[in-house]
Amino acid sequence: MKKELSLDEGKAPCDKPIDLLAELRSTPIKEHGVIDLLGIAAFFLVITPLLSTHRITDFMIFCIFAMSFDLLYGYMGRLSFGQMLYLGTGAYFCGLFIRYVSGNPLLAILAGIAFAGFLSMLLGLIIVRTTGACFALINLAFNHIGFFLVLSPLRGITRGEDGFGVSASKFGSLSLTSRPIMFGFVLLCVLLVFYVLRRLTSSPYGILIRSIKEDETRVRFLGYNTFYYKWLTFVLAGSIAGLAGSLTALNYSYVNPNAMDVHSNVGVVFACLIGGAGNLYGAIVGGVVYMIISNLLPIYIYRWEMFLGFSLIIIVFRFRTGVWGYIQRSWEYLVKRKVVPGAMKKEAI
Amino acid sequence: MIYTIFYGLTIGAILYFISIGLSLTFGTMRVINFAHTITYTIGVYILITFVNFLKWYFPLGAILAILTVIPIGYVIERFIIRRLYGESLDYTFIATFAVALIGVDAIKWIWGVRPYPISDPIGTYLMFWGLSLPVYRIIIVIIAILLFFGLNIFFKRTIVGKIVVAALEDKDGVRCLGISVDKYFSIVFVLGSALAALGGVLYAPISSVHPYMGLSVLLLSFAVVIVGGMGNLNGTFLSAFALGMVMSITARYWSQGAETMVFIVMAIVLIFRPIDI
Amino acid sequence: MLEIRNLDVAYGHAKVLHDVSLDIERGEMAFFIGRNGAGKTTLLKTIIGLLKPQNGSIVYQGQEISGLSPEDLYLKGLRYVAQEKKVFGNLTVQENIEIAAFASGEPMDHALDKVTRIYPKLKDFLKTKAGQLSGGQRQILLVGRALVGEPKLLLVDEPTQGLAAIVIEEIVNILSGLKDQVSAVIVEQNLAMVNRLADRLFILKEGKVAREIVDRSEISDTKELEEYL
Repeated sequence: MKKELSLDEGKAPCDKPIDLLAELRSTPIKEHGVIDLLGIAAFFLVITPLLSTHRITDFMIFCIFAMSFDLLYGYMGRLSFGQMLYLGTGAYFCGLFIRYVSGNPLLAILAGIAFAGFLSMLLGLIIVRTTGACFALINLAFNHIGFFLVLSPLRGITRGEDGFGVSASKFGSLSLTSRPIMFGFVLLCVLLVFYVLRRLTSSPYGILIRSIKEDETRVRFLGYNTFYYKWLTFVLAGSIAGLAGSLTALNYSYVNPNAMDVHSNVGVVFACLIGGAGNLYGAIVGGVVYMIISNLLPIYIYRWEMFLGFSLIIIVFRFRTGVWGYIQRSWEYLVKRKVVPGAMKKEAI
Repeated sequence: MIYTIFYGLTIGAILYFISIGLSLTFGTMRVINFAHTITYTIGVYILITFVNFLKWYFPLGAILAILTVIPIGYVIERFIIRRLYGESLDYTFIATFAVALIGVDAIKWIWGVRPYPISDPIGTYLMFWGLSLPVYRIIIVIIAILLFFGLNIFFKRTIVGKIVVAALEDKDGVRCLGISVDKYFSIVFVLGSALAALGGVLYAPISSVHPYMGLSVLLLSFAVVIVGGMGNLNGTFLSAFALGMVMSITARYWSQGAETMVFIVMAIVLIFRPIDI
Repeated sequence: MLEIRNLDVAYGHAKVLHDVSLDIERGEMAFFIGRNGAGKTTLLKTIIGLLKPQNGSIVYQGQEISGLSPEDLYLKGLRYVAQEKKVFGNLTVQENIEIAAFASGEPMDHALDKVTRIYPKLKDFLKTKAGQLSGGQRQILLVGRALVGEPKLLLVDEPTQGLAAIVIEEIVNILSGLKDQVSAVIVEQNLAMVNRLADRLFILKEGKVAREIVDRSEISDTKELEEYL
């Protein structure tokens, strides 16, 4: 087994550790970049009156998680069945920080992100070597282990199954326990994450990880240390998941092992499938759709899980690029009369 | 301590029954079937229906449950698994997971969510060196060993078995010899589903029965298959019993950590022997 | 016997064969030579149905076969022997032949007879696991397997690759002995073999048929041909 731990391995200039900030700075702001953000903000503001502020905040937090998952799955092509581990870690450390260190919500969020990121750094070193089913299952295994840890051995700190309350103090004059303020704050986070990921994925880094998804061996032959980039992406995804977790803790003022529930991974996979993997907009759309389905569907359709199952099967066998991708292509076709050959059907070979 | 080992063997046997199908499906079709344990669960519920409600004998009920599961396995293979040949991993995960979702909900719909107890059908103990061991569990282990030899004979002596072994190694080669391999793979799939049902049926009296029982077992059987090697039947046999022992021994000292220990073992194995799919 | 017209084959977006057309007569032993990547293996795989062409037609004994599966084509007498000498390594030599006999319906002793006739020494290895045979023995086993049933057209991909000269000689002799029994399309890099056996030679370059040579004297001109490898 190759040991790819040395970060400075390889001699090619493209091999130097990426300075993400430099990447961010270097990619030009696309003209419609700002419009994207306004569009997203407007979207969430518009649907809020339909449900409640609290619910939509929930949706938005899930969208952040979905975007982090999509980075890993859609852009880099690695399906993980254990991202909830990082969300849960973020939630717990945010909560513990407030409980034992300081009530400052911003610092608590940073703590959540930091610990989730740190965990993903450590585990990433092992996990990122694997691929395919191995990758999915090893993440699942760690998620399971994490869930068990907070449930049982660490019960002294985490209060096990009961969980514990989280009461953040005010930040300046703003209190995050106020629903509208929380809403606004989370919305800002969504926009920030979207913006950052959008810039990153259109930067050379983004192209690189997409190339790794296509054909990793070739990228390695070009001199890139693919291990490093995979690891980096993993850490990014874990950290953003940690952000989502911290926000969850603050939003509910409560943390319990459900924050690390293995079964919840299905939701985010489903969201990216619906939205179309590898598409940040898709992640948001998929996130919202999944939230609507899982929150509202049970009210109207008693056997919603069965319905969900059938829908998943239909999507998998018919809508490869996700429902959103299908809508996008239909839009292009109808409006711009642009037909991408073979786009609507599966390829022949 | 003897009890611990004995219970470990029992769990190992059950894991073996369930994991064979998973291992074979992966080895032949390269499909990771998240719905694999749905036949396990359905088999148990059908058994309960026969035994508790219709008051039939346990062995008869067990055999009928397994037979009933066969057409279900066939349907799953025909409509879902077959379409997933050569598909990327994410899609097979999601499609098979969807099947599991539908199946679990169907079970909840028909039988409700309440757990059903079912008792040890034999209920007697064997006196052995001053220890009393439940006969029922002994039978389970014996069946597992018989199955192991039976499968070996099947794969080494029968032509169908040999075709499957050949196809596991070189599917195109078998196709180019005029043999429609997919047909045999679906036989293998149905066989695996039936064996999972067997595992469920045998385990039911000594475990709790509820609609989600398949999921907890599924993750464990993934671990068994990964540790033993996908598509490697002998490996599955050994790893099933090894992990059964791990669970049993862990449970003795740390009652809730049994399953987690299995996952730790799986993670360690994956680190040192990553599988390439 | 085999007519290929305007065949286009691609892997995903990468086109490997461009508008390939060629004819092979019954009873002939035709060879394809060309550099690696020229599309030789792709061509064989498309004929046997493991790959589907984007365009074009393959007509075998008057019947359009492009799009048919390998299983169907087996019954029509087509036999494919793949590169890299892959046998069913976990089964014995005898069991390998058993599988070959299964689909063709040929009785086992017949099949064994056919295979051992081309290479009597194989009789000593019947109970050995096929994976333990040497490269040359495996290649011979593969050819033998292909002869079970009623083969009409053999498609053989680089049979002498990686083999020692003596072994190559054996294989050339075996193939030579088959000349009157079956037609064959053979992909090769070994020009000496081409020289001895070829009735027709196609040179593939970058997915196209660069040259077709039917004249035996031209085939012997190995120096010129080497350029194409």
